[in-house]
Amino acid sequence: MDFFDFPTSSVFASQKIFCWVKRLSISRPSVNNRCSTAAFAADKICWCVDEKLILDSLTFEIKSQEFVGLIGPNGAGKSSLLRCLYGLNKITSGTLNFNGKNSDSYSRREMAQKIAVLVQEPPTHFDMNVSDVVAMGLIPHQPLLAFSTEEDKVSVENAINMVELKDKQNSAFNTLSGGEKQRVMVARAIVQKPQVLILDEPTNHLDIQHQIEILQLVKQMNVTVVLSIHDLNIAAAFCDRLILMNKGSIVADGNCEEVLTRKNLKNIFQIEAEIDQHPYHSGQRITYDLTGGKENEI
Amino acid sequence: MKSKFFFIAIVSVTILGISFLFAMVMGSVELSFGQVYNTLFICSMDQNTGVQNIVAQNSCTVDPIYRKIIWEIRLPRILMAFLTGVGLSIAGAILQSVTRNPLADPYLFGISSGAALGAVLAISVFSTGIISVTFGALAGGIFSVILMLTLAGRAALQVERLLLSGVAVSFMLGAFTSLIIYYSDPEIASTLLFWMMGSFTNSQWGDLWLPALCISIGLMLFLIYRSWIGAIQAGDEGAFTLGIPVSQLRLIMLIICSIITAVLVAQVGGIGFVGLMIPHISRFLVGSKLSKVLFMCVVIGGSFMLWVDVIAHSLIPNQVLPVGIVTAAIGSLFFFVILKSRGRNL
Repeated sequence: MDFFDFPTSSVFASQKIFCWVKRLSISRPSVNNRCSTAAFAADKICWCVDEKLILDSLTFEIKSQEFVGLIGPNGAGKSSLLRCLYGLNKITSGTLNFNGKNSDSYSRREMAQKIAVLVQEPPTHFDMNVSDVVAMGLIPHQPLLAFSTEEDKVSVENAINMVELKDKQNSAFNTLSGGEKQRVMVARAIVQKPQVLILDEPTNHLDIQHQIEILQLVKQMNVTVVLSIHDLNIAAAFCDRLILMNKGSIVADGNCEEVLTRKNLKNIFQIEAEIDQHPYHSGQRITYDLTGGKENEI
Repeated sequence: MKSKFFFIAIVSVTILGISFLFAMVMGSVELSFGQVYNTLFICSMDQNTGVQNIVAQNSCTVDPIYRKIIWEIRLPRILMAFLTGVGLSIAGAILQSVTRNPLADPYLFGISSGAALGAVLAISVFSTGIISVTFGALAGGIFSVILMLTLAGRAALQVERLLLSGVAVSFMLGAFTSLIIYYSDPEIASTLLFWMMGSFTNSQWGDLWLPALCISIGLMLFLIYRSWIGAIQAGDEGAFTLGIPVSQLRLIMLIICSIITAVLVAQVGGIGFVGLMIPHISRFLVGSKLSKVLFMCVVIGGSFMLWVDVIAHSLIPNQVLPVGIVTAAIGSLFFFVILKSRGRNL
């Protein structure tokens, strides 16, 4: 059984991924050439809440323009780690460098000028319109007393055009669908002009078409991307590298082939799976055994 | 979108102008528009000495009593009503935005209760001079914020805990106020009760400068920080990722709102519902953009309170109703209509 429930959506999604990978392979340099300098360098970082260890001595490096996926079961510490990266969680011990400097040495504003974040739940309060939400991306670069210039307006419009929401720019944010809301948040990130984009489960609650759309948009931004994601097939299709987490620790770190192994899936997710070459792109395909191996036994 | 806003703005400002005129002519003594116009623009009396301007002496045909009513009673009262409407509305709008709670208003955080307690203490225990009442209310309002933050402790960074703490403080200080009234001399108790229901009747020119100053400074700060407040309105974490010091900004806004509320409560007593209702009406008309909402709060809040004052003075002949009663009665009815008209889209 394929990981998609319906054959039609499966074919459609696979074709979209294939087209996208082909386009990327033409337009972008190889991963190794792009990822020369470290955007983040974490050395034995820990994060505790009320003496409870949530992140346990994590050491890793994320290189510039790398597309890194954090995977792992619920409660593994993915969101906590992302929050450490953008400064919402202050690490309890260890060293976290961003662009070669200790991340604590950056002011909040400096961080916001360099790192854009798509939080797990997009805003739902009050009926702001799409343009207003996208224009928030200008805040880190604007002085407090500044009024929007023509250039700002153009950059907001361009971002809205990029995410193909021009016809919705005056619509209330709350009236949009889940996929459209996420596209608005991506447009906001585009306006923010970041070096790094952090996304906390950006494809939650989205159908497969919108999941792919969002990640394509993110990939097109050509910046360092760190995202937490649950769908392993999508992760394999989009990520240069995966970090597998469990109970606050890093279990595996490497390219998709190294991380997405039967053993890791069995140990961490307690699920049997077949892993083979995806027929439409160079990544892997994971087929879950929903019988728990009983079919093979029979 | 812009043309819609300009249309609404022009209509609202026109209504505000008309409200001013009606507030000037209506009251226990009915005046004509001509008398008001002559008094304001032709008779230009020196309000301190009561001496008529020599240049305008010949053309001034208005009875000196009416001039006195307009200059010394009605105009300061109307301006105080306008300032109250503006102050409570903008404070409500900001509190609703920074807490993302559509039910937030100066009353919910205990600011009004604190200010009322301070003022009641000032009236019953210390003196009846207005400076002491103002000071008492201001001190009470600030005290309530400090108490709320202390009770919330570290949880003050979470907006939900902050709100709950505010509600607790509001009830606690309200209980103290009731206790003081209960043990007060009956005459003082009735004065306190009347004061707590709100009134513009005793407003004088000298009372206006402090609320005007606080509201102007507050409004200026709200406009300076409008984009940051807007980002908080869309979520704390999102605002943090845009480089905004969320907790500090929320605290500063809370303190500014408490000062505005405390100063107003000190001058006019407890007037509820305005801070809750006007921001909603403003958002309903112009959307959520803070600069537009604040503009509409100034215009609609001011107009609304002018009409409340007119009704309070005209509804029952020879009697002035407490403003708080009229506000709550009209406000709740109007709010109900808005709720019904918006259906499920609120």
